[in-house]
Amino acid sequence: MTTKPILRLHNVTKHFGGLTAVDNLEFTIYENEIIGLIGPNGAGKTTVFNCVTQFYKDYEGQILFTNKDGNEIDLKDYLVTDVVNQGLARTFQNIELVPDLSIIDNLLIGAHKQYKTGIFAHIFKTPEAKHEEQKYRDKAIEILASLGIDHLKDLYVAGQPYGILKKVEIARTLMSDPKLIVLDEPAAGLNDHETDELEKIIKDIKDTYNVTILLIEHDMGFVMNLCDRVCAINFGKYLAMDTPTKIQQNKAVQEAYLGGEE
Amino acid sequence: MTLVFTIIDSITKFFHSITKPLHGRPQAQYIVFGLLFSLIAWLPHLDVIKWGTMGVFAYIAIYTIVALGLNLLLGFSGLISLSTAGFIGAGALGIGVFLQLGWPFELAVIAVVLISAAIGGLIGLFSLKVDGIYLAIATLFVGEILSQIYKQVPIFGGQAIRIGSIEFLGNFELSMISQTDRSILFMIVAIIMGLFMVLMHNIVHSKTGRALLAMSRSEHAAQAMGISLMRYRLIAFMSATIFATVGGIMYAIYFQNVPTTSWGLELSLFMIAMVVVGGFKSIYGTFIGVIVIHGIPNLFLKDLFGDISYIFSGILIILVIIFYPRGFVYIGHDIKKYYYKLKEKFKRDEVTNNDN
Repeated sequence: MTTKPILRLHNVTKHFGGLTAVDNLEFTIYENEIIGLIGPNGAGKTTVFNCVTQFYKDYEGQILFTNKDGNEIDLKDYLVTDVVNQGLARTFQNIELVPDLSIIDNLLIGAHKQYKTGIFAHIFKTPEAKHEEQKYRDKAIEILASLGIDHLKDLYVAGQPYGILKKVEIARTLMSDPKLIVLDEPAAGLNDHETDELEKIIKDIKDTYNVTILLIEHDMGFVMNLCDRVCAINFGKYLAMDTPTKIQQNKAVQEAYLGGEE
Repeated sequence: MTLVFTIIDSITKFFHSITKPLHGRPQAQYIVFGLLFSLIAWLPHLDVIKWGTMGVFAYIAIYTIVALGLNLLLGFSGLISLSTAGFIGAGALGIGVFLQLGWPFELAVIAVVLISAAIGGLIGLFSLKVDGIYLAIATLFVGEILSQIYKQVPIFGGQAIRIGSIEFLGNFELSMISQTDRSILFMIVAIIMGLFMVLMHNIVHSKTGRALLAMSRSEHAAQAMGISLMRYRLIAFMSATIFATVGGIMYAIYFQNVPTTSWGLELSLFMIAMVVVGGFKSIYGTFIGVIVIHGIPNLFLKDLFGDISYIFSGILIILVIIFYPRGFVYIGHDIKKYYYKLKEKFKRDEVTNNDN
């Protein structure tokens, strides 16, 4: 495993009014890792995600990210709509696909920032625009095929089973050639069989597309099987970051989940 | 009965075979659609329809252009505008004003489109701040301001602007007084409608259309994929106002006498009804919506019922909404389904009869 850091959080703090949702959080993720972010309900996991993806801009501290070109950037300098360009893609807790578009069209939304041609080229269907559209369609089919759902590409998203939708959402993040994919509760709502399948898919895409994965998950079995390292937080504070087995034995983590002795 | 099925089947088969070059080429279909619609221009010459009826068809083409733009806003972006009529008026009256100032027609078109697009852009910026019912009320008053300006400001001629004739490219002068010219003007309007259908198709089947849909379904997800809300709200409102303005320009071209009083809220609401009744996100559906809301009452019901025709058109529209809440465009699908069911049933009956 390489030891090049891809995401570094430095003293990140985020307040909601009087409530400190994230408190001086500090951790580092290295390239090609699968990292799980765990913590009891209300621990601030989703807030951390929203800070990383720049949905919240008023956090304190620094979030440094090694972008597609290999330069380390401060994400705060980028708009929420620009981080995807730098190689940071995310999924949402509740699936956020467009129900009245086909699966392949949903994937093409993921490539939105990749398009070079503008609206006038699209209106008049210039050869460049056509060529570009075809290029990303081919890419989308390739990604869908690698997840084994290319036969569904022309079906509408509405009415598809939950397991398929989760795959489509992951496929969509891959359209932007990301370096880091942030998954918000990918296994929520899946049955055992689908969870096992998802585990395999995440491992596969990590190797095939050479990406790093950061995920929030409540399903501990899933996290412990899949992740290389796990970061535990509680009340916005860092508890521990270690391999799954060591995290399970960690006293502070056990206390956070089961309650302290005092 | 079998004979009826065979006849219908062979007709559809024949239709299918002559339209074969158009299959899978929606843009060509819209162009052909516009061309076929433009053939109406010669019906009054053959005494098939009255000249006034051609005016109703011209209205249908004009409203289709406007309603397409509104569909981009309502159907794709989930945004509402109650100022559509104001922008149709801007196109129609604006052309009149610039022509009276002695501007060439083409320059006047560009000026009017740019001005409307700028106002549309301002509403787009405003829509970043407010949503839903608040946006509706804000646009309601934009429309109201525009319609008051048309009535009160003397440059718009008080009651109406008479254009008289339009000179294309400084050479071809077309006037409503001549019957041939009128047919040509109708063809222009119909073909422009076809072109705008193509334009709409290309917009919605590109990155832009997908971005608008993504934005209307989930702003957060859209942003995470790099879709700038500001950019696409501007695009949505500017496109809608440009479509409405072009509709207005078509009005000025065809009728050549533009009243100042007919660009109020009522027309805006009718435009919304056309989109809703016809079908969100459907191009042919938009056309069908215009037919239901404007065409059928003016083409048939008026002759049948006279003054009380509006009651019947109201009932008709309510029935359409009850049975086709997703848009009247789905009626084609339903007829097909019903036909196949009928055919299957008939075949089954025949088999059982033979067995006996």
